[in-house]
Amino acid sequence: MNILYLLIPLGLVLLALALGAFFWAVRKGQFDDLDSPGMQILLDDERAPPAAGSRQRDA
Amino acid sequence: MLVDGISRDLCCAGCEAAAQLILSQGLGRYYQFRSPAEPLRDQLHPSWQVFDREAAVRRYSHLNADGERELSVYVEGMHCSACAWLIENSLRQLDGIEDVQVNPSSARAQLRFDPQRVNLSHVLERIHALGYIPKPLAFTAADRDGDAERRRALRRLAVAGLGMMQVMTFAVSLYAGAMQGMAPDLAQLLRFVSLLVATPVVLYAAQPFFAAAWRSLGAGTLGMDVPVAFSIGAAYLWSVGATLLGRGAVYFDSAVMFTFFLLLGRYAEMSLRHRSGMRQDALARLLPDSAARVSATDVVRVTPDELEVGDCVRVLPGERVPADGEILKGSSDVDEALLTGESAAQLRAPGARLIAGTLNLSGAIDMRVTRVGQDSTLACVSRLLERASMSKPRIAGLADRVAAWFVGAVLLLAASVGVYWLQVDATRAFPTVLAVLVVTCPCALSLATPAALAAATMRLARCGLLVTRGRALEQLARADRMVFDKTGTLTRGQPRIDQMQILGARLSRERCLAIAAALERYSAHPIARAFAGLEAAGELGPVQSHPGRGLEGTADGVLYRIGRPDFVQELCSSVPPCPITAADAAHTTIALGDSSGLLAAFQLSDALRDDALETLGGLRALGLEPLIASGDREDVVGAMGRRLHGVSAQGGLCAADKLDLVRALQAAGHAVAMVGDGVNDAPVLAAADVSVAIGGGTDLAKVSADMVLLGERLTPLVRGVKSARLARRIIRQNLSWAVLYNATAVPLAAFGWLQPWMAAIGMSASSLLVVLNATRLLTAAKPHARPDSSAAAPMPVAA
Repeated sequence: MNILYLLIPLGLVLLALALGAFFWAVRKGQFDDLDSPGMQILLDDERAPPAAGSRQRDA
Repeated sequence: MLVDGISRDLCCAGCEAAAQLILSQGLGRYYQFRSPAEPLRDQLHPSWQVFDREAAVRRYSHLNADGERELSVYVEGMHCSACAWLIENSLRQLDGIEDVQVNPSSARAQLRFDPQRVNLSHVLERIHALGYIPKPLAFTAADRDGDAERRRALRRLAVAGLGMMQVMTFAVSLYAGAMQGMAPDLAQLLRFVSLLVATPVVLYAAQPFFAAAWRSLGAGTLGMDVPVAFSIGAAYLWSVGATLLGRGAVYFDSAVMFTFFLLLGRYAEMSLRHRSGMRQDALARLLPDSAARVSATDVVRVTPDELEVGDCVRVLPGERVPADGEILKGSSDVDEALLTGESAAQLRAPGARLIAGTLNLSGAIDMRVTRVGQDSTLACVSRLLERASMSKPRIAGLADRVAAWFVGAVLLLAASVGVYWLQVDATRAFPTVLAVLVVTCPCALSLATPAALAAATMRLARCGLLVTRGRALEQLARADRMVFDKTGTLTRGQPRIDQMQILGARLSRERCLAIAAALERYSAHPIARAFAGLEAAGELGPVQSHPGRGLEGTADGVLYRIGRPDFVQELCSSVPPCPITAADAAHTTIALGDSSGLLAAFQLSDALRDDALETLGGLRALGLEPLIASGDREDVVGAMGRRLHGVSAQGGLCAADKLDLVRALQAAGHAVAMVGDGVNDAPVLAAADVSVAIGGGTDLAKVSADMVLLGERLTPLVRGVKSARLARRIIRQNLSWAVLYNATAVPLAAFGWLQPWMAAIGMSASSLLVVLNATRLLTAAKPHARPDSSAAAPMPVAA
């Protein structure tokens, strides 16, 4: 069971990392809006700007 | 114009320009994902240069450490995520914009820009060019407080949640180890690690509970946070002691789990509160940025703050009305949806009232300002909403009073359980006491009842029924009789003089009308509006009002009375009554007379509101028997009752008679709701169990009713009753659940059959169940949940 002496501290380090990441995310405003990012994934795939007025629906 | 390869018609050159801007930036996908378009409205081009003045820049934005300016803009007309995407991407193409975040649910854009490279006015112009109306928000402390509160709560929740998972793993290992045998040094390691993880949870995440408990003790009361803080603190300290001494059981798991679930409940309640606050926010932001003040010589653009009572203001189509006022010239359709929940635009003609913040849709209007600032309808609505949220309903007040006793009793019970177990089995004394404390936590109750009420209040405000007192919802749910006033309540309250009969021929027709108009100026009764447009006879002596009967006053030394014929007849009882031509049942007769006889009779008619029949039917279906009580003639009121499918109707009542009627109903065991115009019926409204005032025509500041109907429609009453009953049902379910739960759990805990961790799970499950149940009220309101969804909004293209 000696491996536990390694694994438990390792778990704690991971915990600290997770908390740090979460705090960073909260500070950066990642949790301020939980609605629109879900839609943005639909919108943000880039397409070439259409030549005005001549493009056909081909993409 | 080709959009997505399909040729589409555009309504105007402006739309074409907007569409071209969108397409030329390669943002054409907007058209695939946006919500269906709103009808188009012309927009003005306000001058955005105003926002480049140094004072404005400082007011609306603030400088961050990197020399960039940050600002927050409320974007009117934003409907969906596609709009947010469009605004974000279009703004990012402006030089000098460092960052844009648009949140469609709060309709706000957060901007960071370099003031050296781009002006505030350019940014606003770009948003406007896309077809939205940007409103820069002054940086307020409240905004930042709300955000900061949310972020703090999230961080606490994360610390408690992640900490809980870790501690639970160790706790399960320890329990398993205790059963199967575990090396003592390994068990000790697990305890130390639990201590390490639990410490930030207790010291950081649980801090609000300790702070609240400390405040409550400092104030000399026993709040519900006292046992919470006590159980967390005691469990933690005991476990620390056990860990350091290396003997006895540890309860880190219970302390941490308790903290996490309590925080979860508080977080749910906080989001509910913030969402309720958003509507009030939206209301406050309805005022336009500028108004065109018309003077004899020119037209000047000023801010709404600069307007004074009596100013003349021109409101162009597409503009919002800057202050409360009266139309002087022009007529237009006005959209009052955000205030009254009424979706159809209302036609407003000269003389009609305009409310600040409503949207002028079709024609240019000149208006005279009648109320500004704190007196305005908008400010009153905000104040009333605030009052409602401050005043506690009876049930919540009761819960508060009971809470202190309850907490005291819990502490006593815990102490006696502790003493008992110390004598029976000392090793089990502490876990049992802990279980009792944890399992009885009353937080579920004290969170869920206000949450349910706040959700119901918000839901009603959205359909135009403003709850101004906390107890109103409770009482409305209980009501089984609803008494309606007739004039101005069931009818539109805009009577017309259909016919005039001169009696005795002592005064000319014009003179009679002038005296009548002069007297009626002193009345707030809807009938008086029939005379409002007429020229009045000069100054009157003191005018006395006899509520429900009429008015009395002196003109040129002669005492006149106007009002119900019998009231006027009393003045000249010595003279044989003149015959008044009997009116048909749809008309109300008003007489004018002096001491030597009647002078004139007026036949007034007032149309029934369109939805009166539907509303009364709906109320009946809900088991609420409607009644009509009116000061009007018996046969007029009776005819109306018959027209409304046989609603029982009583006419000829003065204010005191109505009061008696309400009292009699109450004495017969009925809970009475009274609907009136809020000013003339004040005593009757006060006597009823719950009162609803029609706010449409009266001065909101004077309304004393428990609820105010803001629009011209009655149907929100039906929805109001339904919501109130739903709220009551949910509160009852919550209360009975809590009682049932405590009644079973407390004995179990006291007899030592519950481990502290089981108690924590039980308590938390119970709280969450109760809070989720309250949230049902909100989800039922969801279809209208966006505060800005009813705001009139321009869309870039009519596709």
